[in-house]
Order: sequence, then C-alpha cells, then structure tokens
Amino acid sequence: MIRGKVWKYGDNINTDVIFPGKYTYSITDPEEMAKHALEDLDPDFSKNVKKGDIIVAGKNFGCGSSREQAATCLKYAGVGAIIAKSFARIFFRNAINQGLPVIQCAQAVDAIQNGEEIEIDFNEGKIITEKRTFNFPPLPESVVQILKEGGLIAYTKKKLEAGK
Amino acid sequence: MGKTIIEKIIQLHTNEEVSPGKIVWMDLDIRSARDFGGANVVKNYEREYGDQRVADPEKTFFTFDLVAPAKTLKYADNQQICREFAKKHGIKIFDVDMGIGSHVLMEEGLALPNTTVVGTDSHLNILGAVGCFGQGMGDVDITFAFRTGKTWFEVPETLKVIINGKFNYPATAKDLTLFILKNLGTEKALGKAIEFYGEAIENLSIAERITLCSMVTEMGGIIGFTSFNQKRLSELKDFIGKDIEPVKADQDANYSEIIEIDIEGLTPHVAVPFSPSNVKDVSDLRNIKIDSGFIGSCTNGRVEDIELASKILQGKKIRQGVRLVIVPATKRVYKKLLEKGIIEILFKAGAIILNPGCGGCAEGHAGLTGRGEVQISTGNRNFAGKQGKGMTYLASPAVVASSCIAGEIINPNKI
Repeated sequence: MIRGKVWKYGDNINTDVIFPGKYTYSITDPEEMAKHALEDLDPDFSKNVKKGDIIVAGKNFGCGSSREQAATCLKYAGVGAIIAKSFARIFFRNAINQGLPVIQCAQAVDAIQNGEEIEIDFNEGKIITEKRTFNFPPLPESVVQILKEGGLIAYTKKKLEAGK
Repeated sequence: MGKTIIEKIIQLHTNEEVSPGKIVWMDLDIRSARDFGGANVVKNYEREYGDQRVADPEKTFFTFDLVAPAKTLKYADNQQICREFAKKHGIKIFDVDMGIGSHVLMEEGLALPNTTVVGTDSHLNILGAVGCFGQGMGDVDITFAFRTGKTWFEVPETLKVIINGKFNYPATAKDLTLFILKNLGTEKALGKAIEFYGEAIENLSIAERITLCSMVTEMGGIIGFTSFNQKRLSELKDFIGKDIEPVKADQDANYSEIIEIDIEGLTPHVAVPFSPSNVKDVSDLRNIKIDSGFIGSCTNGRVEDIELASKILQGKKIRQGVRLVIVPATKRVYKKLLEKGIIEILFKAGAIILNPGCGGCAEGHAGLTGRGEVQISTGNRNFAGKQGKGMTYLASPAVVASSCIAGEIINPNKI
C-alpha cells in the first residue's frame, strides 16, 4: 500500500524527457540522476517530489531508447508507482527490474487530477481516490515477487542464497 | 486451444502454462552481450554477484560489433573490461574481427530454431529469421541472465500477416520489408509477435528473411517468424549446420489479428527521413541528390546483398562527389566476397570497403553523416541523429548502388 501526491503528464513521455540524453555518460550515480528526472518536461518535479509520490500519465509511457536510467532516476527520485494508459515494453521491463511498480489503468488516468492525493493497494489491485476506487488486474505473482524484493537483482540474490 | 510459434517456443522453455499476457520464467539457451552495454553488464555483475560464477559459460558469449576495432580509449577500455571478465569466467568472445553479433550467432549454429537467445542488441529479434526467439534487453536483464540463465517474459499476442502475390527485381526483400512497414506502421504490431505467411514469404532466402526479420523492431514487434517451403527449409539446415526444423503454429492457434497485404507489382520503396515507417515509392522521390551511400548493417550486409550491388556497379563508376561505404556483416561474408571477386569489382567502382561490423548504421562508428549531408543507406533506422547530423533515406542495396552511380535517388531499372 502506498499513498502519495499525483504528478500528472500526457502521452508518449519518452526516455529522453524522463532522463535527458545529454547526461547519459556524465551522470552515473543514481541519487545524482534523480535530481535530473523529468527536468525538461517539468523542472519542479525533481525539486518537490516526495517519497511515495505517484506519476500518472497517458499512452506509451517510456517510449524511445532502452536505457535503464529512465527507470532508475524515477525510482531514486522517490516515485512509488507509475499509473499509465499504456507503457513502452522495454521501459515496463526496466521499471520492474528496478523495483518500481507500473500499473496500466486508463480509466483511473482519465479521472485522476494533477496534485491530488491517492492511494494504491497492490494486494487488492485498487487505486483509491477521494471520489472513487478503480480496480486494476493484480500484477502477476512473479512480478510481485520481484517488486517485493526491490528489483530483479535483489530478487535473484535472495533466491540464489535460499538455494544454497 | 492451439499455440502460435512464439507460444510454442516459450512453452519449450518454461514449466508454467503459456498463454498471451501471462508472465513466465523462461530458460535461455544463449545469453550474450555486445561491446556496447557489455561493460555495464560486467560492472553490474561484479557489484551484485562478486566472484560468483556465471550460470553456464558454454552458453554465455560476448560479441563485439559496434565499435570494431575500438576507436576511442573509452571504447577500448570497455572492450577490455569484457575480455577480462570473459577470461575469468571462461566465456568465449567473438572479438572485433568477427562482425555483427546476431549474424555470428546464426553462422556459428548457436542461434537455432526453437531456442531462446538474449543480448544487448535491440535488433536481436533478427534471429526470428532462423526460427529462434531472439530478444534485445537492457543491461540489468542481461546481468541477471548471465548469472541465472533465465529471464521473465510476458508472452506476447501474435499477429498473422499474409502476403499475397510475388515480387520481382528491381523489387527486393528490402522493398517488401519497407512496404510491410508502410502498411503496418509502428502501431499494429506493437508489442506483438508476427508470423508472416504467403508464397513470397515461403520462398525467401536466408539473407532475405534476415532483412525482413531485422526490421520487425521498427514495426514495434517483439519478433517475426517466416514460413518455409521445402527448398528453403533445406537451405536453413545447411546454413545453421543442423537438422532442426522450426516449429509451426497449430491450425487452431489464436491470433490477435490477421492482416493481408497485397504485393503484386511491388516497386522499389524508400523510407524517407526521419522515420523507418515513412515509406514512399521510389518514383515519388524526384531530384533527391545524394552525398553518400552505405551498404551493410544487420539488415542488408549478407553476401547476396553486396553481390547484388556489385552487379550494378560492375564496370561503372560511383558518381564524382559521392562516397559509397560498404560493410560486410561478418568475417565469413567478407571471405566469400573476396573469393567471388566481388571486393575487386566494388573497389574498381570506387567504393570504400570497411571491416565487418555495425559500422555505418549507428553514430559512434565509421561512416557518419555531416550536417546537411544526404545519405542513401541499406540500414534499418533513419531517426534524426542515428547516423550523424545528416538525413538518411533507407533503401535496398540495388537502389543504393544505382543511386550512387546516378548521384540521386533512382529506381535501379533506370541504370
């Protein structure tokens, strides 16, 4: 369960907007990367985002390159989840591998306003706003396991240790 | 319920029941990294797993193809990081002399029908040409694959594309591919596997299948599979060096959509800057003067592609002021071109011939375009900045060779 403030954006938010391409090779520290998250789209975001805040966006979120940094910078900026109408496939993978929950729910995207406080119940598959509740199909068990451990690498570490 | 090809291949690699939309844990027969991304994989690996061994060194490979040989200290360092990791873990490297990794994996009989292969190359789904489920991934995914031999994957839906009619020269498999891209755009196949059917598809050579399957990435697809007739099936077995046949879809397999495309009378087509799906008939392009040409890439770097160009260039000269760069896909291709006397024909026509690899297709390697430069290329992407600061048109080897003689984009039947 997470609760946070909504940062709402439109369709086709691409990986260059999420993490500017000009920093690809110059900034590699995740905390430093977080300071530049979404800076070309919304300069206020990285200054004001709080841990557990939620990004709500339109279609094809994360399209463009396969660079992991787009997911990494949002995770380290404190984003608790992203709700979008649809996700670009590679971003979707990268987000889950980084332990950042991604939820597809077009109805909720249409209804949710920028700046409002919402709650997400991952176990029940519910997005709860002040006015109403939206259901989303619960994430597959394998993805939930990865997210619970904080990402793919942490997940394997645990699994490998358990197997010893 | 019957299964499509991708569903069958994934099912062969998991204990979970496969159905579209479901995420399953999938075993990987081959896991690879290129020089680009490879160093990040090594860094991730050593940070997270320390000295732990890779799951299976026999199934793990490095393929250096992007900046081959290294042209800056940074690239040289990155390649060396991979070499040292490979030595420590007993991993084989196909080094900078070998050519495009995806092609090498096919030539070496490592990417086989019905197997699963991942790597840090977004065009790795090219392996669909030999019935193999190849997939490009980010460096965290590949790090994980090195250590465990597995990945998680959402089983995609399958789109069935039926090609009606045949194509003849001057139209080639590249024109077929661009024409399909024109019809599908970047939306219809987004996130899906594609199965291509029809007489023209069944009769494609291996090189032609490679051309088509390489650009499934540009169609937004996960992977493309092509149907074979008997003659082409035996060619496939010769090419991979093994008696293995690709699985077929069940009669009652479930498709998300079936699309028919009529190609009768297909003419040469060109993708205009700055999108591979911005495809036009070559005759609709008038007075497009070119500064340079490029023949190569994972899409059109096979012997047949370069041989076709050589037939057009034989006894002719590239127009003054135009440069033509030719890059064979692999060392094997290069050797064949030497044996057949094709390199000499190209040399005499005035072409620049580089060593095998990805050069010419991506910024970061030899053959960049400068500001204002117009290039005609057999590559697969013409996004702004992909090859440099110029404007790239995508076409077949025949159109590129002809255009380099004419000095402007031209239909090969006019040469």
